[in-house]
Amino acid sequence: MIGRRGFLALAGLSAAAATVGLSACAGGTGSTAGDGQKGNGTLQFWSNHPGSSKALEEQLIAEWTKQHPDVPVQLVDGGSSYEDLATKFNAALAGGDLPDVIVASDVTWFNFALNQATAPLDDLWKEAGVDANSYVDTLREDYAFGGKHYGMPYSRSTTLMYWNSDVLAQAGLEKRGPQTWQEFADWAPKLVQAMGGKPALVIPDGSNYLDWYFQGMIWTFGGKYSNEWTPTFNDPKSIEAGKFLQDQYKAGHIGIEKDANNTFGIGGAAGLLQSTGSLTGLTKAAKFPFITTYLPGPKPGATTGGAGLAVPNGISHERKINAVKFIDFLTNMQNTITFSQGTGYVPVRKGAENEAAMKTYLEQNPNAFTAIKQMADGNTAPQDYARVFVPGGGKRIGGGLDKITLGGEDVATVFASMQQETQQSYDRDIKPLL
Amino acid sequence: MAQQTDVPPQTDPAPAPEKAEIPRRKHRDPNEAGLGVKILGYVALLIVVAMVMVPLYFILITSLKTHPDIYSDPITWWPNPFAPGNYSYAVSQVNFVGFLRNSVIITGGLTVFKVALGVISAYAFAYLRFPGRGLLFLLVIAALMVPDQITIISNYALVAGWGWRNTFQGIMLPLAGTAFGTFLMRNHFLSLPREILEAARLDGTGFGRTLFRVVLPMSWPTIVAFTLITIVTEWNQYLWPFLIADTDRVAPLPVGLTQLQQNEGLTNWGPVMAATVLTAIPILIVFLLLQKQMIKGLTAGAVKG
Repeated sequence: MIGRRGFLALAGLSAAAATVGLSACAGGTGSTAGDGQKGNGTLQFWSNHPGSSKALEEQLIAEWTKQHPDVPVQLVDGGSSYEDLATKFNAALAGGDLPDVIVASDVTWFNFALNQATAPLDDLWKEAGVDANSYVDTLREDYAFGGKHYGMPYSRSTTLMYWNSDVLAQAGLEKRGPQTWQEFADWAPKLVQAMGGKPALVIPDGSNYLDWYFQGMIWTFGGKYSNEWTPTFNDPKSIEAGKFLQDQYKAGHIGIEKDANNTFGIGGAAGLLQSTGSLTGLTKAAKFPFITTYLPGPKPGATTGGAGLAVPNGISHERKINAVKFIDFLTNMQNTITFSQGTGYVPVRKGAENEAAMKTYLEQNPNAFTAIKQMADGNTAPQDYARVFVPGGGKRIGGGLDKITLGGEDVATVFASMQQETQQSYDRDIKPLL
Repeated sequence: MAQQTDVPPQTDPAPAPEKAEIPRRKHRDPNEAGLGVKILGYVALLIVVAMVMVPLYFILITSLKTHPDIYSDPITWWPNPFAPGNYSYAVSQVNFVGFLRNSVIITGGLTVFKVALGVISAYAFAYLRFPGRGLLFLLVIAALMVPDQITIISNYALVAGWGWRNTFQGIMLPLAGTAFGTFLMRNHFLSLPREILEAARLDGTGFGRTLFRVVLPMSWPTIVAFTLITIVTEWNQYLWPFLIADTDRVAPLPVGLTQLQQNEGLTNWGPVMAATVLTAIPILIVFLLLQKQMIKGLTAGAVKG
């Protein structure tokens, strides 16, 4: 009897010891950040394939491998959204075994940069011979923080308006978008009438980035989500913009929907406020002719968005250099054009619209040209810190906008609480790290 | 499943299936429910069926609809036109066969491992006397209370440290522990009549032989239930495989099928629903097969009481 007892006790003890030992080991591998992880010789590219671009990405990687047989690349599936990919990268940060290149969206890159999870790229650019100035300035500067850059533009989009041309004609309007939101308000009753009571414009709801689309609108009223780190929801002009959105929603001029793309696509609204990334899908799905237009001004009335590529900080210097070279290749003139035509995202290098391959494409697809022109015309601007840098910003503002539209709550009250929450989050999560 | 422990002890380890018919007679109860109660019961039944079936029906018809048809206003309850092409699209657009194979390997391996582990550890907890048994069992129950998400970071560190990312063993090992199985089977084993076990011991049956010849034959319904739960859970596992799997080589269906959804732009829900239906079918088949076994066991127990 004692024998068995002794044996069991020993077995239990040694099992416990083994577990402790192993987890200690694992902790060790995860935290050897001194020299950076060497990796296994394959460059790991974690992507969520924005805009269904997996096949495209594979094609570009095959081209890279031809030119750089010594640096093989493995494409890793990082989930279906930018947030999924951030989850996966967070696990890798905590557990070790880091990738070389990750997709980081407008709302995820900053948090990684702030916590030094991704590397500042400026010195790496110099060493790897990357000409950062050839990127479209506003797209490159979206990743600037503290005088350094933490990402390179990749699948970049802007907000666009889509208008059903038949309905515009029926309402007796010109074939163009409204130039101001006030003009939209004047047009809206005619459009609603032409639509038989359906809304003049449909916008995705707060869980689908209403906060992103509204950002351009709030600017045209002279308001802002924040002035650098100071939230400005309480600014009378910001509140005025919120009230405009609420009034237009109440009047039935603007519809707020979860799947706005499809509402527009089946003829449920005269217009749509959406990303450039929807263009390819809508062109295939919609059964009526439509045009794309700038967002109403005065300039700037639209935001840039989408995602860039970042390099983890915990990998060895050699891997970082290769990673930057790979990103440079992935977004070089020819490849950014290929990527843009396959997805609807905008080309990220200056002058891409003048290249022969892009020119022909744009002539045949004038709708795809709008986004590029909108950026070149200065109707787009980088986003407010309160949305993209303060943790949970997008979700917080989207929820607030849902409250004033779908929920019908008082604008000043909701904006005041967003003001307070943003300030709290900044004081707690950001300020100590700056 | 817990009710199973309340079923009166059975004496025949090999139940005769034909006796399963008998308990029906019990329905002819003299105190039969009144008409009102009956109607109420049927209404409740209809509501429950509608709540379960309508979403399922919707998945099914959506999987056969064209893109504009899915978003037509008002909603249509029958696909017009039929679009069976969604199925071939879903299968060809992503590496469906590969994901299916991975799912089968992961689910199959984990189920075998978990059921074996659950039965063996429960057998030890029920019949082996050793110091600290109560405490250890408490620990197992405590493990039930810890959500998987909490242990993910340490598991990830361990698996990544071993270089097991993007491997089957890396996905399976951290999922293979089964506090629930141990708990369920141990309680079931304790409900078995001691007399039979003593009789077996008197006949000279060894510890291991008793498990296979005496205990297990009396435990099929519980084991089948446990197996079913395990299969369904592992089949639908998402977060951990997502973190560990990097490519089509090891990613199971729930991870792979997210590729049908678009990040920005339009998601065509037809193929997504078609893939959902295809993913559910293997589980449905397993359920139908095993359910029979489970009911057989359950009713046999009832008769013998």
